[in-house]
Amino acid sequence: MKVSFQLNGKDIEVEAPGNRALLDLLRDDLGVKSVKKGCENGECGACTVLLDGAPVTSCLVLAPQVEGRAVTTIDGLVDDPFMVKLRQAFLEDGAIQCGFCTPGVLISSYALLKGNPKPTADEVKKAIEGNLCRCTGYVAIIKAILHASERI
Amino acid sequence: MEYDKILEDLLGRKEFLIVGKSIIRTDALDKALGRAKYTSDYIQPGTVVVKEVYSTHPHALIKRLDTSAALEIPGVLAVYTGADVPGENQIGYAMPDQPFLCDEKVHFIGDPIAIVCAEDEYAAQEARDAVVVEYDPLPANFTIDETLAKDAIHIHEGGNIALTSRIRKGDVEKGFSEAKVEVEGTYETPYQDHAYIEPDVAYAFPEGAGKVTVIGAMQSPFLVREKVAGVLGWNLNQVRVIQALTGGAFGGKDDTGPLVSAKAAMAAVKLGRPAALVYDRFEVTAYTPKRFPSRIHLRTGVDKDGMLTATKVDIKLDCGAYANRAPYWLWRQTVHATGPYEVPNVHVDGTAVYTNKVFGGSYRGFGNLAVHFAVDSHMDRLANELGMDPVELRLRNVLTVGKRTASNQLLDHSVGIEECIRGVAEASDWAEIRKPRRKGNKVRGVGIGTAHHGISTSRGAPDWSAASVILNEDGSFTYRTSICELGQGTPIGHAKIVAEIVGAKMEAFHIEIPDTDTMANARPTHGSRGLALGGTAAADAALKLREQMVNTAATLFECEKDRIDLRNSMASCKDDPSKKMAFKELAHEMYVRGANPAAYGFFTPPRRFFDPETGLGVSYPAYTFAATVCEVEVDLETGQVEILKIWPAMDVGKAIDPLLIDGQIHGAISHGIGIALMESIRLDAGEVINPNLTDYVIPSSMDTPEVAESILVEKPYRHSAFGAKGVGEPAIISIVPAISNAIYHATGVSFNTIPITAERLHAALRRGGQ
Ligand code: FES
Ligand code: FES
Repeated sequence: MKVSFQLNGKDIEVEAPGNRALLDLLRDDLGVKSVKKGCENGECGACTVLLDGAPVTSCLVLAPQVEGRAVTTIDGLVDDPFMVKLRQAFLEDGAIQCGFCTPGVLISSYALLKGNPKPTADEVKKAIEGNLCRCTGYVAIIKAILHASERI
Repeated sequence: MEYDKILEDLLGRKEFLIVGKSIIRTDALDKALGRAKYTSDYIQPGTVVVKEVYSTHPHALIKRLDTSAALEIPGVLAVYTGADVPGENQIGYAMPDQPFLCDEKVHFIGDPIAIVCAEDEYAAQEARDAVVVEYDPLPANFTIDETLAKDAIHIHEGGNIALTSRIRKGDVEKGFSEAKVEVEGTYETPYQDHAYIEPDVAYAFPEGAGKVTVIGAMQSPFLVREKVAGVLGWNLNQVRVIQALTGGAFGGKDDTGPLVSAKAAMAAVKLGRPAALVYDRFEVTAYTPKRFPSRIHLRTGVDKDGMLTATKVDIKLDCGAYANRAPYWLWRQTVHATGPYEVPNVHVDGTAVYTNKVFGGSYRGFGNLAVHFAVDSHMDRLANELGMDPVELRLRNVLTVGKRTASNQLLDHSVGIEECIRGVAEASDWAEIRKPRRKGNKVRGVGIGTAHHGISTSRGAPDWSAASVILNEDGSFTYRTSICELGQGTPIGHAKIVAEIVGAKMEAFHIEIPDTDTMANARPTHGSRGLALGGTAAADAALKLREQMVNTAATLFECEKDRIDLRNSMASCKDDPSKKMAFKELAHEMYVRGANPAAYGFFTPPRRFFDPETGLGVSYPAYTFAATVCEVEVDLETGQVEILKIWPAMDVGKAIDPLLIDGQIHGAISHGIGIALMESIRLDAGEVINPNLTDYVIPSSMDTPEVAESILVEKPYRHSAFGAKGVGEPAIISIVPAISNAIYHATGVSFNTIPITAERLHAALRRGGQ
């Protein structure tokens, strides 16, 4: 079937079977490799993207569900001022190790700051609860998100 | 050469420009933009999908193997079994006990029997299910006791004991007779899954008839090359292995890298097409090697002054189906069996046994997590019996320069454990927070854990590393090692060492990913050796290149070599400020004047004597030390534990990059909290029953405690660049005992089994403590 949606601000139309996960559609059919596959079961958050501005795990979203909606990956936020601040804080605070969780974590953090630019530490922890990171122990990630929020 | 003195002796200055300062990781921007390339990002459309057929029996003979139905499925290209392996059908790491594809017998649920190759995921999945395997089931041994029973069925020829180890130091019976207090206990630690977020993956493509390239997630490209070549029956130079950026490994991908790579490579070579094997989360969790479970029985004596008199240890290591890393794991446990304390009389027996379960493998901290859990639990129990403060008891017995380890190794330098213990005690205000604090059902407790962890290979086994650095015509540098970037950033540490020595700016560096076709074997990224050995090979290369640079500059400036200064990518003459030159020009001059602009580094630490019979001698070239204080709050109603704060300290030799070290400490705290409180792979009749991240729970952001600033003690190791020692592994070891001792302090319950789940603690509290 044909699916039309907005990907990072651009209108696109792709052919996809009804049971195709958005994650696979993005990675394999559209070549968006920044979206990572860690579990395909909604458990790790590595595949997090924005669907109409809200973070979702793209492995659990089926292609037809994005019909007529807006999908945003970090590729679409490169110059966004919130993302620029987040990215800088992640770099400075050492919040990135292997980097496999990073795109997903940044998307969740971005969604948090968009809705709540001055979150508490507990709100930060809650916002990224669904993004597992096995490298950093979250300490630097939480710190970086709070730093970015201070600079907004 | 004493590499810790490079700076003063060779560079002729005392201050560091790059080493010791935190920098923004050179790879962080790509990762933050989602542009960093991991193995699966390289896989092209049209690649053959490879999947494995796994044993469904824990122990059985293979009676019949029929692939014909699978081959009929449209889109299926081939099904390969052990009979199709062109080289050796054997892939054991330390012992030849592990078939690459099982053809006669299976040893655990998840043992690979065949690989299917298909045009797409669906066909491959269907083919995997259509392969018919008929088994003759055999009795299976699932526990240490079952497998050691007299009449137990043999899992491998030669019996169920994979190997043994021992230490005989002094006279333990005499030691115990001098003791005022003795404690005894049996400590059990479970399987822990690495739960790296990137699943295992390998992508292979043939290059002509006699060459194959493998791109994969791994920790040792040269080990992968050796195993792939073995399975193919090829020479090493027919296999090219590239380690793509790897999404976490923690030891696990040292084991899985060769296994998945060899399967992808065999498919690619046989079919003459690119082929990829990509694991899903189920396969990662159920079938890949885990932290070896172990059972450690410990008896410890202490005299009236609080001096340890004797330790008797019995280690039972559960290998699972194959020995894999067991020899290294068991020996590591054996020679670290007293913890970072001096004990005059030591008796250790270690036994590694086979069972019919998923096999154990490398995991951050190696055997030392289990050993230090046992030893540090004992220290607190002994302190309790003596009425002595646990920190005080530790300080009386702690290893210092001039003292001897369990294996009687004399420590002559680089011993900072005392400073670590004092550091965390002071930072946490130990005496104050040890005072009892209870509010309603909530009670707080504080505990300390300690660690020592040998660097490099054990028992004087040979170890070395290699590195390559090129000064390009424009003054930029290209650095290459086969020490892998797994998230820990070790190659960045190498580049900093090189930059410091050649006087370059960090921005001038590009770090190439490991590629076995471009350099000699730099050996694996394991055993806490990546920085200490790999970084010293990098220093060796840098020193050679520096010499060429200095020679050229001295000729150009007409000044003495020892008057040349290299810094910030500029060469200058110390005596005449007008004589200076950017590296871009210097590089050009070197190329045209025939001064070699490339250098190759190679390093092997000095080897010394070890006697495996008595277990005495030099076990490791050097040790990293650590101590942790942890504060917990226990809910006496529910048994729920909340970790409030952690104070970490580590003797790192020399901190090459404090921010990278913090990252390792914080990550290790999280893994430590995981295995201390929640993580455990559970099995039922050999089958993993929690093979996903919903049932195998790892810490999330919600489980993150407050972490105090890391205390970095610097006691340089003489034979490594700037004195640096490995940090990633040692960082986890002291976390578990710090947590369990804090729970002991809060509740009076000293646990000898982890994880200390709320159910376990609740049950123990209901039983009324001990
Ligand atoms: S891949 Fe989607 S949550 Fe893990
Ligand atoms: S940085 Fe490796 S999983 Fe988060």
